[in-house]
Amino acid sequence: MSKPAKSQWNFGELFSPAEIRKVLSVSELTGNVRALLEKQIGTVWVSGEITNLRAQSSGHIYFTLKDAGAQLSCVLFSREKVAQRDLLADGQKVLLQGEVTVYETRGQYQLIVRDVELQGVGALQVAFEKLKQKLAAEGLFAAERKRALPKFPARIGLVTSPTGAAIRDVLHVIQRRNPALEIILAPARVQGQGAATEIAAAIRTLNEFGHLDLILVTRGGGSLEDLWAFNEEPVARAIFESAIPVVSAVGHEIDFTIADFVADVRAATPSVAAEIITENIFASRELVGDAMNLMQLRVRRRMRIETENFKSLASRLVRLHPRRKLDDSLQRLDDLQSGLLRGLKTAARSRNVALQNLAGRFLRAKPSQVLKARQEVLKQLEKRLNLLGPEQVLARGYSITTDAASGKVLRDSTKVKAGQKLKTRLAKGEVFSTAQP
Amino acid sequence: MPFEEALKKLEGVVEAMESDDLPLETLLARYEEGARLVKICQEKLAEAEVKIQQLEKNAAGELKLKSFETSEE
Repeated sequence: MSKPAKSQWNFGELFSPAEIRKVLSVSELTGNVRALLEKQIGTVWVSGEITNLRAQSSGHIYFTLKDAGAQLSCVLFSREKVAQRDLLADGQKVLLQGEVTVYETRGQYQLIVRDVELQGVGALQVAFEKLKQKLAAEGLFAAERKRALPKFPARIGLVTSPTGAAIRDVLHVIQRRNPALEIILAPARVQGQGAATEIAAAIRTLNEFGHLDLILVTRGGGSLEDLWAFNEEPVARAIFESAIPVVSAVGHEIDFTIADFVADVRAATPSVAAEIITENIFASRELVGDAMNLMQLRVRRRMRIETENFKSLASRLVRLHPRRKLDDSLQRLDDLQSGLLRGLKTAARSRNVALQNLAGRFLRAKPSQVLKARQEVLKQLEKRLNLLGPEQVLARGYSITTDAASGKVLRDSTKVKAGQKLKTRLAKGEVFSTAQP
Repeated sequence: MPFEEALKKLEGVVEAMESDDLPLETLLARYEEGARLVKICQEKLAEAEVKIQQLEKNAAGELKLKSFETSEE
């Protein structure tokens, strides 16, 4: 037996002999890894962003969940009842619940997804719109199925948190406006995991209890995430199926939830809901208060009218008395008498006027008056005569020349002899002269 | 008489009293009736404290009412 020559490549006992090696098949090893992972890690929650999403015709959805430093293969089998299945998309941030296992065929570890929660406000809005469209298509929001609330509810169901702000607001308003209202509270958590289920159950419990005029489902203000339970399908279904009219009041004026759309009446806030519920009874409080005054007013007014009527009847009675008739006749006689006198006086006055006219004419016709008129005419004639006399012509600067001896007016210079004495008459005075040859 | 019924009657009475044709006796009778209804309504409205009870379902699925204490802070 020759001792084998030592070689520098002889590592001696470094490798175990073949018979003591534990050689595993790939399947065995993979199976071990799988068992280890499933045992050590099991069910987990993991968050990340979806990438490389592939929806197979089988209904299974394959995708990779990644964050800044690592990737994880995930599969969502078609049998999993996951409401958000339609909302999964590349880039979507999600929180996944599932079991870590190994897909042995490929030697790849992966997460079998059991539940999905969408993360980020954008995702919630997408979910909101999707559910809204779906339920609208099913007719859950139809206006014609909205029921009117009873005018005077005596007993109402209340679904809210027993410790929240909403219940305080609601009770405060009801205490002030209608303390006679009876409230049956079905407590439910109004935010966080499982809240939607509790709210839906509370609505169903109140329906089971019955004898309620309406159900108020409410919570106070909060973030979109806080109010999210009221945007979930179980709540919408429970409201839709309620045999009792439902009022929904979630958050503030600006918050509209799916619950609001399904409910028979939507109120902006819990307080407003309480006001709506107590509206009629509160208004009737005023009516009851006013009724007494109104009725007293009517009675007083009627008494006044009756008194007036009585007075007018009494005075008519007086007018109808026989004595009154005699008085009337006497007065009529008086009237006639004074009328007659007035007539006579008028007649006398008109005669008098005629007489005066006649007298005037008579006076104007006397002889002295005629003479006076004639003298007047004469004066006028004399005036006119003067206008025709030479004085008027002389006054304008003309003159009249006569023969001084005979006084004959000279009209032709050829007939004047030299040395003949002339007399010229001016407007004022006379001039004597001798004619030159 | 429930509040709603009393209120409805009261409204009817007040309305009827507006008519001047009503015989005086009837008017006064209506007034009496109205005053009685106002009293009924006011009694119903005068309840002082909101009654609130909590509905619970036990393991057996039975519904039970228990009193609910409002936590006023």
